[in-house]
Amino acid sequence: MGNKFIQIILFILLALWLTACPKPPLREVPVEAQEPATVEETAKENPRVVASLQLTDQGRRLLEDRQPDKAIRVLEQAVSLHPTNGQNYYYLSEAWLMKGSASQAKEFNQLAEIHLKEDSEWMIRVANQADRIAELEK
Amino acid sequence: MLKRFIKYALLIFIISAVALVIYGGYLSAQVEKRFSARRWSIPSTVYSDTTLLYPGQRLNPSLFNQKLVNLGYRRVHHLPSQKGEIRIAPDALDIFLNDLKTAWTQRQGFLVQIGFSEDRIGTISRMDSGETIPILELEPEEIMQFFGQERERRQLISIEQVPEHLIQAVMAAEDHRFFQHYGVDLRGILRALITNLRHGSIQQGGSTLTQQLAKNYFLTPARTITRKFKEVMLSVIIELKYDKREILEIYLNEIYLGQKGSVAINGFGEAAYFYFGKPVKHLTLSEAAVIAGLIKAPNHYSPYRDIPRCRSRRDAVLQAMHRWGWITEAALQAALKQPIKAVGFIASDTKAPYFIDYLAEQLNTLYRPEDLSSLGLSVYTTLDTQVQGAAEKALAKGLTRLENSNAALQREAPEEKLQGAVIVMQPKTGHILALVGGRNYSVSQFNRITQARRQPGSAFKPIVYLSSLSQFTPTSLLSNDPKSYTVNGELWEPQNFEPVTEYTVSLKDALKKSYNLATVDLAMQTGLERIVDMARRFHFSTPLKPYPSLALGAFEVIPIELARAYCVFAAEGVQPFPLSLKEVVDENDKILEHQYLNIERLIRPAEAFVMTRMLQDVVREGTARSLQWRGVSWPVAGKTGTTNDFRDAWFVGYTPDILALVWVGFDNGDPIKATGAAAALPIWADLMNAIPQYRSETDFKMPNGVEKILVCSVTGRPAVAGCPEPLAVYFLADRKPDGYCPLHDRGGIAGKIMKGVKDLIDGE
Repeated sequence: MGNKFIQIILFILLALWLTACPKPPLREVPVEAQEPATVEETAKENPRVVASLQLTDQGRRLLEDRQPDKAIRVLEQAVSLHPTNGQNYYYLSEAWLMKGSASQAKEFNQLAEIHLKEDSEWMIRVANQADRIAELEK
Repeated sequence: MLKRFIKYALLIFIISAVALVIYGGYLSAQVEKRFSARRWSIPSTVYSDTTLLYPGQRLNPSLFNQKLVNLGYRRVHHLPSQKGEIRIAPDALDIFLNDLKTAWTQRQGFLVQIGFSEDRIGTISRMDSGETIPILELEPEEIMQFFGQERERRQLISIEQVPEHLIQAVMAAEDHRFFQHYGVDLRGILRALITNLRHGSIQQGGSTLTQQLAKNYFLTPARTITRKFKEVMLSVIIELKYDKREILEIYLNEIYLGQKGSVAINGFGEAAYFYFGKPVKHLTLSEAAVIAGLIKAPNHYSPYRDIPRCRSRRDAVLQAMHRWGWITEAALQAALKQPIKAVGFIASDTKAPYFIDYLAEQLNTLYRPEDLSSLGLSVYTTLDTQVQGAAEKALAKGLTRLENSNAALQREAPEEKLQGAVIVMQPKTGHILALVGGRNYSVSQFNRITQARRQPGSAFKPIVYLSSLSQFTPTSLLSNDPKSYTVNGELWEPQNFEPVTEYTVSLKDALKKSYNLATVDLAMQTGLERIVDMARRFHFSTPLKPYPSLALGAFEVIPIELARAYCVFAAEGVQPFPLSLKEVVDENDKILEHQYLNIERLIRPAEAFVMTRMLQDVVREGTARSLQWRGVSWPVAGKTGTTNDFRDAWFVGYTPDILALVWVGFDNGDPIKATGAAAALPIWADLMNAIPQYRSETDFKMPNGVEKILVCSVTGRPAVAGCPEPLAVYFLADRKPDGYCPLHDRGGIAGKIMKGVKDLIDGE
């Protein structure tokens, strides 16, 4: 009995000691577990993406020509082909900024942020755009 | 006496002359008014969306071929030389594209080759320069026209577009001295009089083109002396006020030339398309003579009615043209040898009738019906006729299959038959690609997508689970034990769909397996008011009350609102406004109305993603897993729904690119004796398999604010080395399980205590 009691005490002490240095858990997947492919990488495999990029470019050029209504139509087509390309949302936000609608511009800016978060250069542009939207909202 | 007679006669003559001048002035004013104002009522036309083609795109060959037919392309066996012609080769299609003109883009038609590789487009290239084309846009398809009471179709043409041989054919058929007379041809009248007297009946009319125009524009068909007098007066006035080519242009646009179902074909512009599928400027001599010959009696001589009679009339016109020296003998002989090949037409005009009704509701808030039927507006919509065709076919097939598999679902009366409805949307843009509001529009115009109110059953559960995400994680454990609830003083005891032995279940498994008891437990812990608030944010407009049965979808919803709610999960937390109308453009290409992609953020992208992952499990391992053996092998999230007594069967499924909702049920609420998985899901699968062009087959993208963690399949806590079959689960980064699996963590205190206890027990 006494032996058993000592055994239990030793066991508890040992357990407490071991608890202080727990075994590392099984591999925990980091936040960015799914390494997202860039637009260009995806384009190589996905014809919808290739076609969408053409429309994105067309939309951008329409914005350069200050034709936001036509640009929105083309960019909507681009979104329907490749909904995860953040550049489409960035340019849609630009179009709405051009049309003076801060609320719509803001929504698309947020979508652009979601989809362009891996691209630091684009994120700078997205942040600048957000500032311009805030300015328009004032 | 004679002097007095002359005096009276002179007086009468003067009075008559004055009266004639006054009457002439009155008629002149009428002509002026009629001709200076809008001359014709042009119905507004509704168009589908344009169609994008690009290399690598998957195609459904039968739907694509039908699309080309609907766009008016006609097959030829030579290299296409005119717009609208196609040549089909084993692995390629040569198309002379029609012009494309919408509010947002336009291009001229050109010759293009589309190469195919199995079920995909291989290449698209211009045949003139060999240049490859990365993306090609086909013109929108005409869906319907808003007709006024007169139900006329007319495509206006200018006289410059009309080939000389058509003008000559019209003159040969009706009035060969048109350019010589002043509205009334006395020689023609005399000739007609002699012919008629010789035959003892009216065989020939002496009306000039101008008289026919006057008759059509101003007069009733009654044959009276006064009407004839007025016709002559009007003809002379028209000739005095307008030049010959102006009169001819009005005539060519005005004249009645046949019937397409209940709709009149007016003018040569429309007739050229109706009979020969081409613009008026491309009509051959033979074709021009056919249409000119129709003026006399359009339906009698119609090539759709009687080809020999039509040919005989055409030949008479050609002979007359030759007689007047307008065509050579060689041209006459060549034209006489030409067969008459009309392109054919489909009399039933309205495609996608439920979609059109939904669209018309919106248009009627913008325009008066009389404006829609007369102003010639072009209404561009979001409809994709290939998706619409696939949805109609899948629904019809699915309902027939259900009836054949269960005789109890068969009904004699058409209006009592099993019903179904489908809506297909792009979740990111809100564009409605297809809308089928019922099984048969001619039997029932009730739109079950936009007007019906039905219980959603388990298809409502994602709203409940979403509402709980601020308090629970996907691995939180819920009670799946039977419980009683008191609602308005009455006892309510929810049941699972079938008996289960899992009395404790994780949140994600409860959704995956659509457990009712666990869902009610979750709803009660979350708070029913919170769920109602969430549903309101999602724009459900029907009454929802904070009763426990809310969690099981007991409150009715409108199907389009349910589809719109699921868009939020597919679109990173933003909800688009469902769009059917894109643009309204007037006759002068001025844009009158825009409707753009309009979105509103409702939840965080991370919440939308966590919900999507759980709904993907429904498709992978849960109540919708049968999708996998129905050919759906790409990433899909979705939820089935079945209501009490099997009154409604639902499936709402989506990818990042497309979302479709399918409902099946009886209008009177009779049970359909099948679940959402058995009744609605197969329709969804058939539809998606038929529209490969909308599948990118890419997975949903994980946004910031989400963590993927391996958890123990038993405890739902972060897994350690000893956990059997750990699972990867997505959690909100700000609401994830902490610590490690207490059950299998041999290094942790709990694991050690358990091991010690086990050893002790073993030692004894």
